[in-house]
Amino acid sequence: MRREARVILALGRRALSVQFRRAQLLMPTFVLPLMLLAVIASGTSAAQGLRDFPDIESYVAFVIPGTIVQGALLAGLTTGTALAGDIEFGFFDRLLAAPVRRASLVIGRLCGTLGLGLLQAAFFLLVAMPFGASYPGGVSAVVLSVLLAAVTAVGIGAIASAIAIRTGSLSLMQSIFPFVFVLLFTAPAFLPRPLLTPALRDLAAYNPLTYVVEAIRGLLSGDPGLGDLWSGVGAAVGLALAMTALATMALEARLRAT
Amino acid sequence: MSAAISALPVALALWRRSLNEVLRVRGALLPATVAPVVFLLGTSGQFGRLSGLAGFPTDSYLSWVVPLSCLQGAGFAGAATGANLARDIEQGLFDRLLVAPVPRSSLVAGPILGGVTRSLVPTTVVLLVGLALGAELPGGFVGLIALYVAATGFCAVAGLWGVFMALTFRTQQAGPLMQQGVFLAVFLSTAYTPEVLLRGWLAGAADLNPVTHVLEFGRQATVSGIEPSLAHTYPGLLALLGMAGIFGLFVMVGLRRMGS
Repeated sequence: MRREARVILALGRRALSVQFRRAQLLMPTFVLPLMLLAVIASGTSAAQGLRDFPDIESYVAFVIPGTIVQGALLAGLTTGTALAGDIEFGFFDRLLAAPVRRASLVIGRLCGTLGLGLLQAAFFLLVAMPFGASYPGGVSAVVLSVLLAAVTAVGIGAIASAIAIRTGSLSLMQSIFPFVFVLLFTAPAFLPRPLLTPALRDLAAYNPLTYVVEAIRGLLSGDPGLGDLWSGVGAAVGLALAMTALATMALEARLRAT
Repeated sequence: MSAAISALPVALALWRRSLNEVLRVRGALLPATVAPVVFLLGTSGQFGRLSGLAGFPTDSYLSWVVPLSCLQGAGFAGAATGANLARDIEQGLFDRLLVAPVPRSSLVAGPILGGVTRSLVPTTVVLLVGLALGAELPGGFVGLIALYVAATGFCAVAGLWGVFMALTFRTQQAGPLMQQGVFLAVFLSTAYTPEVLLRGWLAGAADLNPVTHVLEFGRQATVSGIEPSLAHTYPGLLALLGMAGIFGLFVMVGLRRMGS
């Protein structure tokens, strides 16, 4: 048990350090969501004039949950891309020869995603502050939001890992980048659910990220009416557990096939 | 002149090669086609109510975002040119091409032309989906031509950007940088709302961003407040030429550095 924990931690550290060693390639996962935040906050702030828009203190703080979830999506996708690279270039085969549990290989990689998710969410919340974001929910709300985002990143990272293990193709992982936005756009990432078009509003109810976005929004604003914390926790933890199991099963299927 | 003559068959052969990939690799066109449709549906679903605000030139938000999604799709197709080149560099094929006695520009001209050809698919699919969902086409045939010129021109620019990134990083892992460059170029414009509704720094950025003019050029097809005219056409064409010139220069410098 202790040895497995050591393996998981070592793999998690490696996953993080490999990503940060090539920071120019990691930069988009930090910069793109912030750019989108800046664009949405400036480009759509007129939406506050719409009827049914809730009374809020800061529009930047209102849309930042969408940015955080976008960051989680990109962090997760980066995990899958890095794993596909390891598979394509043979490193993963060497790991498979080690006397460790298969699940540890998956969980170790996802530990790196957890670390990346924590850093990313904290970074987004900090950077947004000088641009007018305020968090009436307080420090505990910020900490909980960061944790929720990191767990969500693990869930997305596990989906991406399952695809990477299944296909072993780096170029395929590169090309699924746009698909992660389906999850973002089918959640009330930037406007409240009642202001989405009716079809999207119905669809959003089935997207677990809807509950994560709303929970973070409710936490940061200190207004539980904007999102229920426990629904968000349930969605994030459920997604992470289910998708980690899926990735582990994908690894076992891959080993059986080879 | 003789260099151009020897470059042409090479560029055409590489153009055919990049189109072959679409036929041989199942689903090669899928991401570049599905992603802009997702964006079209997602953006219009998220922000559809914005067209009710004063200052919006049309009451159909879908009509506003169809050209945006067409440009995104074309841009992804262009960026994919860079990703494919990075793969060829990583796998050693490009090194072999570099020793051929042909102008180096022909080695990237063919794939970019391939990208431009491929971009017709997402542009058309997005347009058809948009029209099926109720987008308008007040610009008629002239507007449609403008939309296609804007999309294919933007694809060529994105292709040059992708190739520049591939020559710089020489790894497929630079793929997200190529795609996100396209994202940023499009987002820092009048992507979601017209300039009058932009607030703060974005209004200034959109004003300076050449893609704003390219979008306006394309929006002549679908936005009733932007009728087809030379005033909406020239700035877009100039913006495309300017961006192609700058990235083309970067690519030439990158090519010169390859193998040296």
